[in-house]
Amino acid sequence: MKWFEVISKIDRRIIYLLLTLFVILPLFIPIKIPQNIMPQTQKLFDFVDSIRPDDKAVMLSLDYTPQTAPECHPMALAILKHCFARNIPVVGVSYDPQGPGLAVEAFATVVDDINRQASIKEDSVIYGEDYVYLGWKSGRIAALLEMGESIISVYPRDHFRNAVDSFPIMARVKNYKDIAIAIVLAAAAYPDDWVLYPQSRYGIKVGAGLTAVMAPKYYPFLQTGQFSGMVSGMKGAAEYEHLIFAHGYTKDLGTAETGMSAQSMIHILIIIFIIMGNIGYFFSRRKK
Amino acid sequence: MSTDPWIWLGAILTLMIFSFLFKDNPFYKFGEHLFVGVANGYYIALYWHNSLRPNLVEPLSQGQLIYLIPLLLGLMYFARFIPKISWLVRIPIGFMIGWSAGVSIPATFQAFVLKQLEGTIITPSSFTNAASGIWAAIILVGVVCTVVYFYFSKEHKGILKPTARLGIIFIMIGFGASFGYTVMARVSLLIGRIQFLLGPWLGLID
Amino acid sequence: MKRKLALAICLIMGIVMMVQFFIPHPTSLQFNSMILKWVIILSAFAMVLAIGNLSRHHGLIIRKKKKNWFYSVVTLTSMGAMAIIGLFWGVDAGSLFQSIYLNIFAPLSATMFALLAYYMASAAYRAFRARSLEATLLLAAAFIVMIGFMPFGQYIHPRFPSFAEWIMQVPNMASQRGILFGVAFGSIATALKIILGIERSWLGGKE
Repeated sequence: MKWFEVISKIDRRIIYLLLTLFVILPLFIPIKIPQNIMPQTQKLFDFVDSIRPDDKAVMLSLDYTPQTAPECHPMALAILKHCFARNIPVVGVSYDPQGPGLAVEAFATVVDDINRQASIKEDSVIYGEDYVYLGWKSGRIAALLEMGESIISVYPRDHFRNAVDSFPIMARVKNYKDIAIAIVLAAAAYPDDWVLYPQSRYGIKVGAGLTAVMAPKYYPFLQTGQFSGMVSGMKGAAEYEHLIFAHGYTKDLGTAETGMSAQSMIHILIIIFIIMGNIGYFFSRRKK
Repeated sequence: MSTDPWIWLGAILTLMIFSFLFKDNPFYKFGEHLFVGVANGYYIALYWHNSLRPNLVEPLSQGQLIYLIPLLLGLMYFARFIPKISWLVRIPIGFMIGWSAGVSIPATFQAFVLKQLEGTIITPSSFTNAASGIWAAIILVGVVCTVVYFYFSKEHKGILKPTARLGIIFIMIGFGASFGYTVMARVSLLIGRIQFLLGPWLGLID
Repeated sequence: MKRKLALAICLIMGIVMMVQFFIPHPTSLQFNSMILKWVIILSAFAMVLAIGNLSRHHGLIIRKKKKNWFYSVVTLTSMGAMAIIGLFWGVDAGSLFQSIYLNIFAPLSATMFALLAYYMASAAYRAFRARSLEATLLLAAAFIVMIGFMPFGQYIHPRFPSFAEWIMQVPNMASQRGILFGVAFGSIATALKIILGIERSWLGGKE
């Protein structure tokens, strides 16, 4: 076999092995490279940062799944830390049926961490006063539209079966007029529905935290201003973590940061694979 | 190494699915069927706790009899399993499909057509600097050419041919950019799993 | 009659909801609210249909002892167990339901998708060939984005990340918007055809 045939016909098991090694090694030997912050991540951060404390709430729609948790879960944690550090009330919802499990985990992780470090009651985060997780609801489009009139009529009970009208936060947050921005963390086309229905009818601001595979599709919404910012993939999550760390809202960087060196190495590996395949292809064609 | 049995269970199930990389095997099949079963059981509990009970059962028990109408419509779905009255299932389906089609038309026009047209047309405000004006012009050309490429009602001859050709160039650049992001996305999923195995399970990394 | 009734309901609902969008009168808004609450409930019932179909399919495999029927037992048993745990013991943080979600459901579904990374790498290596101008453009755009968005991209050239961002914001955005127009007009046309009864595939069967 000629050399160009060898490099264009590598066994798939060798590819799988190399891929695994290139993921594992950077996790043991992390390479710290400064992040360049993408403009759309900065835009979302700036919007949340401009919300006055104890004014309007942030609605966080946690619609990601376990398959996409490595990308979206760090975003959820970073945004929650940002909101709580600035005393912005948070109303959590989900429209993907797989969302609630991870949403409960996200709230629990951030709230436990903050309350462990809080020295006085004012620094702690209290369910029902500072945040509430309303849970998942069927009939997504109908629920999104009805929340424009009354959130409680869609969610008479929260995810934990408490009566929602018993919470002080819901006395202030009645419908979209009391929401500064809805940030949709999604692995499917849920941001489309937020733009199509609540935004076109009620004018609510929408931000998005998306898996990287979806991000290219939503640049038209960024350009028209239909999105007030966008966090894309694990890189976007790492950028948001950097921003909240740089502004002193958190004492340590999150989990997305540690995955970035592995991601960089894999990108190099895949580019090398593609170049090798093409070199082999061109030389084979020339030989014929 | 973790002593939590739940972590061990998660790790074993992860390795069972990864075994598919060698070939299809009983461990993978077991994991796959377990996933389907647990997922559907999860949905049953979720639908009851989060939708049916708070939005139907509780209002009905409080005397709001108007909710008998959606209850009746919902029960018609079950007619699907009784051949003699299976035609009844078309009624709630017709209701839902008619509703969603009606709601979507004005919303799609407003958000996906008018607003996007607004972002495409070039106005004096597009020329905040020379570069932004040029990019706005490229965007306009790109959008028009892409739409022309997907217009199959007429053969791509004459002026349509070079326009469609330019359109495919824009589309290929867009798909290439999408592929670059797709690599990022898929790799993130793998990194997440490896981080779980090396971290919480084996305790080799923080 | 059996088909005409459903078509009539579809027509009425479609037109009423389209017109309602433009009427801000309180009566119209109240009517809309009522319909929205009904849709939330009906969507939940639609799920019951899916579960019923799944149970029937696997029940048939077990009854007829078809190939790999043991796996159908696994599916139905795990579905029943998870449903009972969730229905009777709740779905709160720290519950058994939540533990099963995080330690059985989540690892299984996450790993299934993690396999895609391997297949994507293998497929990219075997199939990604610069055979034509279009394929070369696609490859070039992919390389620029992959390198430009990684932190090390700025060390290859300081302007590399901005160039990658330009590719996303200009040519990519233009093509995505063109595709979005096509999808929007297509969905409007399909919705109109459904409302007017031209598109009837949702009716199913002969009767």
